[in-house]
Amino acid sequence: MPRIPTSLLRQARKLDALLPPLLAPCRDLGAAQNELRWLREHVDKVASTRGHREQDTLLRNFVQQRASGKPLQYILGTEYFGPVEIRCRPGVLIPRQDTAASVTHVAQLIGRAQSLPSELRVLDLCTGTGCIPLLFDDVFTSTRRDVPLRCLGVDISEKAIELAGHNVMRVQREKKDTTTSTIELVRADVLVDPFAEQAIDVPSLKAALNMYRLPPFWDMLISNPPYVSPSAYWKTTTSSVRHFEPRIALVPPAGKGQDDTQQGDAFYQRLITVARDVEARVVLLEVADVDQAVRVARMAKDMQMFDGIEIWRDEPDQCSDQEPTEQDGFAIVGRGNGRSVLCWRERGGLWLGKTPAWESDADRLSETYRSMPRLTSKYSF
Amino acid sequence: MRTVPWVCRSCLLRISRTLTRRNVRYQSSSSTPESVPSALLARARSIAAEHRQLNEKLANGFDARAAKQLGQYGPVITALNEWQSASESMTELTSLIHDPTTDPELLALASDDLETTRSHLADASHSLISALVPVHPFAHLPCLIEIRPGAGGSEAAIFAGDLLRMYQSFCNRNNLRVTLLKYENADGTAEAGAPLSEAIIEVDSAGAYGVFRCEAGVHRVQRVPATETKGRTHTSAASVLVLPSIQDNASGEENIDDPDSDYYVDLKEVKVEIMRAGGAGGQHVNKTESAVRLTHIPTNITVSMQDSRSQPKNKEKAWQLLRSRLAQTRREKREEEAVAIRRSVVGVAKMGRGDKIRTYNWNQQRVTDHRSGMTVHGLDDVMGGGQTLDTVMESVRSWLMEKDVEALIAEEEGGTRR
Ligand SMILES: C[S@@+](CC[C@H](N)C(=O)[O-])C[C@H]1O[C@@H](n2cnc3c(N)ncnc32)[C@H](O)[C@@H]1O
Repeated sequence: MPRIPTSLLRQARKLDALLPPLLAPCRDLGAAQNELRWLREHVDKVASTRGHREQDTLLRNFVQQRASGKPLQYILGTEYFGPVEIRCRPGVLIPRQDTAASVTHVAQLIGRAQSLPSELRVLDLCTGTGCIPLLFDDVFTSTRRDVPLRCLGVDISEKAIELAGHNVMRVQREKKDTTTSTIELVRADVLVDPFAEQAIDVPSLKAALNMYRLPPFWDMLISNPPYVSPSAYWKTTTSSVRHFEPRIALVPPAGKGQDDTQQGDAFYQRLITVARDVEARVVLLEVADVDQAVRVARMAKDMQMFDGIEIWRDEPDQCSDQEPTEQDGFAIVGRGNGRSVLCWRERGGLWLGKTPAWESDADRLSETYRSMPRLTSKYSF
Repeated sequence: MRTVPWVCRSCLLRISRTLTRRNVRYQSSSSTPESVPSALLARARSIAAEHRQLNEKLANGFDARAAKQLGQYGPVITALNEWQSASESMTELTSLIHDPTTDPELLALASDDLETTRSHLADASHSLISALVPVHPFAHLPCLIEIRPGAGGSEAAIFAGDLLRMYQSFCNRNNLRVTLLKYENADGTAEAGAPLSEAIIEVDSAGAYGVFRCEAGVHRVQRVPATETKGRTHTSAASVLVLPSIQDNASGEENIDDPDSDYYVDLKEVKVEIMRAGGAGGQHVNKTESAVRLTHIPTNITVSMQDSRSQPKNKEKAWQLLRSRLAQTRREKREEEAVAIRRSVVGVAKMGRGDKIRTYNWNQQRVTDHRSGMTVHGLDDVMGGGQTLDTVMESVRSWLMEKDVEALIAEEEGGTRR
């Protein structure tokens, strides 16, 4: 990492003695000033009753932790995901702004749909802090009070499920009784093939759905799975990510006979198969870049079940001013890095404002399934 | 569209009393208690005539436009009628009193009545004036106050900080909800007393714009700065910008979805830049970038916000600020033309960001407002946002009201009304 120029360090010191150490993780003065302010506010909040000296010690301690590379979000214990404040803890990946941008956009599109199912079901695989269902709920229900939302977050990590449960309860408590949405969480392994041999401690997704009597069919599937290949892990991630965030959230497990790229892509084939099995009409998968996006789009196309597939950049709602705007026949929309792949079929196209109206028999059939009574618990861990 | 200055009606009612009592001091040319300027009276009468015509029109069949117009004239008609009856009783009483043939008993009664009738007439005059002077379309809104140091280096920055605290205390004392939207010190910290580079506060109470709009302009300070070793007095300045603040769900003139509104911004004309982590983004980095910058391409106005950790919150505040700044520019441009005409008639000074409006003199412990001409001596109380600041601000509002009335009269006499 390039050294910080002495002139910048001097300038920072002149402003505040606590700024220079923050330059290392922040790289620029403006960002360091912001972080120092947020740390001060945090100290004011958590130690408001303590004396000036103690507060000062605490602040210095925080600055030191931050200077060592510890993510600010772990020190403050929260991150904003869109407008939603999410609790963060070491051991669970910090939600990213880029993810929030895609989720916000898809939730806005769906929120504008003319007709939606009587209950919209959203499955979020690899949910981490639970940030995706919470944000989807926030955006969607701000425009659609008429359609109750039902979300299910799935993760293999016990820590993640526990933290997600905490987040869901906290956010929903804030919304009091005004919410008609349900967000459930289950621990399951998304990667294992339900027909292959099962690990004892964590059930497969299908087994978990059965076990907790959760619906077998879901309207949407969203996932931000581990997608960093081993070589990109060393080359591309920042040291703060490598040293402080869980590797299991970033790098898929190694499989037999896989090369580096294939390992980075390991989740997608499985996710698309789940999308087929749960009959998802809209699928949104986060990816690392345009290249991975194109590979995932091809996988989806090879399943021959989608009516449309497109690639979104970091800011899908902004005008494209970037090349390419198309690759391998897939449109690439928005601004920034390649960030996600959107697939739709049947009425999913209508919800997204994509295709003319038509109804398939499959759609009507699944409506009958829906109307059957179901048994659920609110939180299933 | 008619081009008349705006006045806040609730302030105006409070002010009209001050105005009449202090009219000598302000050397007003108009509005003695019992009199309504003849030009305004003429206008009221012509409105009454129009009102009668509309009434006849309505009698012959319904006309939605006429009905609406009629409703708008209502308050003027009521006020005019009351004024007329009050001034008739006044004339009657005076002629009785002056008539040598009036018998003593009646004379005593008439004299008794004179005081109440006079105050009656004064009230009726005020009501009539305020029914005729238009209300500023944004007077009912909350407002944003932006404070920046002007000429004078770090002393100006310190004074800007003093002004910020002055307004904050003023709001607290008057139970106005105030929040700090943006606070930037020259040294990047939020510590009090440090020189300020920019501060924006939102006064989130209805009517705040009507209260504070008279604060816009250049505030000058004369004092020996803390940093001055030779004891010399410096003159520095800070500028204050006051913008009406609109909410997303507003209606009428401040409706942001209405292309005719000053607050309308075509989304296509705004470049939205959000600070992204840079590099590969996504799972590879965990930076805490939340800054948002908006650029209005046609005018090149930019606003950036980075105070909150939440990007949407920064974006929301940035939009609010951009809308307010754009609306202000538009209104100023429109009013400039009007002011040019008016200035040639009555010499009304434009109240804008460029004009020096007030001086705070530490040596003499006084504050002088250059518009109303009022000087007060409780400098500390002013800086503490106390009652003395109220007094100064009220003097400006009443000055403003007077100018508005003058302008209106000039307009009447110039026969510019359609
Ligand atoms: C990149 S993180 C995404 C977290 C969250 N959705 C977000 O956007 O911030 C990936 C998550 O997948 C979980 N995970 C990893 N392997 C998994 C598996 N086989 N089955 C289910 N979840 C898994 C990790 O625990 C981690 O929380």
